[in-house]
Amino acid sequence: MEQNRTWKCAKCDKELVLKKMLFSYLGHTFSHEIMRCPKCGNGLIPKELAEGRMAEVEAQLEDK
Amino acid sequence: MKLEESKVFVNDCFSGEPASCSYACPFGLDIRFFMERVRKGRWIPAYKMFRDTVIFPVIVSRLCPQPCRNNCQRPSIGDEPLAVRDLEYACTLYALNRRPENFVIPPKTQRIAIIGAGPAGLSCALNLAQKNFHVILFEKETGWGGELRAHPDFKLFDEEIALQFSSTRVDFEFNREIGSLDELTGFDAIYVATGKNGATFDLMESRDSDLMNTSRPGVFMGGALCGVPLMESIAQGSLLARIMEAYFQTGRAARPDSDRVITDRVHFLNHSGEEKKALVTMASPDCYTEGEAKAEASRCFLCDCKICWENCEMIKWFRKMPPRLGVEVYTDSQAGSSLSKRSLIRETYSCNICGKCKSVCPVGVDIGALMQFSREDRLRTNKNIPAFHDFWIRQFDFHTSEAFFVSPSKEMKSCEYLFFPGCQLGAAEPDHVLKSYAYLQETLNAGIMVGCCGAPAYWAGDKKRLSGNVERIRSIWDSMDRPTFIFACAYCENIFRLLMPEIKQESLYTVMAKDDTIVPARLFEAAAMFDPCTARDDLSMQEGIRILAGRANVAIEELDNPNRCCGYGGHMRLANPGLYEEITKHRKDASDKPYIVYCANCREVFRQKGKECAHILDMVYEIDQGKCAPTLKSQKENALEVKKKLMKRLIGDDFIPEKHEWDSIRLIISQELQDELDRKLIIEDDLKEAIWLAERTGERFLSDDGVFQCSMVKSVLTYWVQYKELATGEYEIQSAYIHRMKFNREG
Ligand SMILES: [Zn+2]
Repeated sequence: MEQNRTWKCAKCDKELVLKKMLFSYLGHTFSHEIMRCPKCGNGLIPKELAEGRMAEVEAQLEDK
Repeated sequence: MKLEESKVFVNDCFSGEPASCSYACPFGLDIRFFMERVRKGRWIPAYKMFRDTVIFPVIVSRLCPQPCRNNCQRPSIGDEPLAVRDLEYACTLYALNRRPENFVIPPKTQRIAIIGAGPAGLSCALNLAQKNFHVILFEKETGWGGELRAHPDFKLFDEEIALQFSSTRVDFEFNREIGSLDELTGFDAIYVATGKNGATFDLMESRDSDLMNTSRPGVFMGGALCGVPLMESIAQGSLLARIMEAYFQTGRAARPDSDRVITDRVHFLNHSGEEKKALVTMASPDCYTEGEAKAEASRCFLCDCKICWENCEMIKWFRKMPPRLGVEVYTDSQAGSSLSKRSLIRETYSCNICGKCKSVCPVGVDIGALMQFSREDRLRTNKNIPAFHDFWIRQFDFHTSEAFFVSPSKEMKSCEYLFFPGCQLGAAEPDHVLKSYAYLQETLNAGIMVGCCGAPAYWAGDKKRLSGNVERIRSIWDSMDRPTFIFACAYCENIFRLLMPEIKQESLYTVMAKDDTIVPARLFEAAAMFDPCTARDDLSMQEGIRILAGRANVAIEELDNPNRCCGYGGHMRLANPGLYEEITKHRKDASDKPYIVYCANCREVFRQKGKECAHILDMVYEIDQGKCAPTLKSQKENALEVKKKLMKRLIGDDFIPEKHEWDSIRLIISQELQDELDRKLIIEDDLKEAIWLAERTGERFLSDDGVFQCSMVKSVLTYWVQYKELATGEYEIQSAYIHRMKFNREG
């Protein structure tokens, strides 16, 4: 059910769109596409991403 | 950091070094390595390393007096030592290709004369020839062999010498007796190896027994001539070849730098519990069959110290022994740019720093101290991972500020005793602190200090926080006329002993043990005693607990391997969740009986893992065992409750905790989700703050089914919350999670 939810930015009342976002950790910077508000740019990071791929990348960078 | 600074922690470790047998071997043969190959029937590599070390494998395997057998560790369980020489001989029989290697080395310009084609001269000649020096060997007899020529097996040795010289060039001049060294012109070095009672050319008195050189430059002397036994004479050849090389390069005879000094650090390990195995006998009188040889070699213990490995899940997990860890701590500290890779960060922060390795190590190597050294260095040079320790650093800050409380007993200015319960005891169970303090106040008129010893800062390598805390405690101690501290937690004791050794110590449990009116409740008929790692050296504390448990009439089972860390130590849980799970499971399963613990951290870990356990204070004050582990939220509330009650009791003031604008928010969290949040170390207060912030700024997302989602960056983490608004200021949390990366919406 959660995957099927559509989100909008409550502040700007805009549907989110897939757009690049800059991420940084321990001095490393990289970009990744996530759902973002087209107006204010706020991005939404789902649990699966935070605890999945992002956690993996965090661990890789920590071991570098 | 210098390499020596990190290596000093592991210098005494002898793991990986040749075993005790090798120390006795005239050649320093790595017998363990040899046996490992022989037991698998890998004859060629076994032969090759044997040949490279002893030069004449057949001679050595027939004639060596085997001093190694006196240093074999198998007799420690009543068996005969390994038949080393017979296995060496078997190896010469079963290695299919024994032809010596052809050394492709550029020819050297130096010419060396050797006088005497006995074992010493031959060995030196072959060693030099393999390095492609031009060697001329003078022998007064008609052939080589020297003292071996009279041996009944000389035919065998003759063939062996011919074989070993078959791939290198040495000029032999037989029937040539040298009367004076002046006959030998055009040589860069001369080796006099004329055998027992041979010619000395009047140089014997000037001979240096270590470097084998004499007063005449470039002239060396060795072998039976100098009273050196047969095996040592052969072994000398390889050493002398290297001494001569140094002599050619620098004009001075010197031991090569790379020379492995065989020390007398003969380490015997404990083999009790190993299966006894009788010496394998030979079916034929002369030599082992291949099968017999493999069976005999399998009796080898392959002695190598792995005691720390066997006692530490961390060392096992990473498969790195102390010498390697010592080097990697240094190399990591040198890795500067993002290009050079560090290799030890996970190990460094996975250590419980529990001291188990040191306590079992025959030479006291302390890997925890090495890792602690590395943690401090990493923090100082910004090579730490803040997210690994942030949670506990925030706890430390809370316990040393808002929750901190100190007071002498009522209407006193100073005190003889000051109770220091530690931060976790009251957070887990307020009565542990309140009731035991009431007891100490009544019996000893003790004061109380509720704070933190600094363990979280210590484990994070945060020296600044640590020393700030120490200074404060010390100055309070001083102002209260230097009371004796009474501890309820062995870790506090250890930290104090380390950083504030001038403060006298006492343990709550030894105080209670002396008072036979204290009779703890018999919560179990039988229980296993789980002594914390930190109480390892505090025998009186251990005894006190047993006296108390004995009064409760609990049958005590002792663990086979006590004083291992429950998993909490070092705050390694976030750095290595998998290892944390493994360690906690092992501890939980160390006995099927419930545990009696006396460390608040052990209690927390076992309760979270569903292991039945009671803190000794749970027994003393009959605290309900049905309660599960406190949530993170209640831990904070408990700590504040302790302070509130103490302040009222001792000073008569009302404690007013810090207020926040989000305090009035009410969250509904299912038990299942609460457990998940506790596992992830997410505190309810942070969720309230995130929601409050989102509601105030409007920065949140809304789903088509009416769920809100917002995020908040706090310290080094980003918190996400999904929630439904039930009423004004009341929210039902659907999920919450964190990540360590930061994102930049301008990007
Ligand atoms: Zn927006």
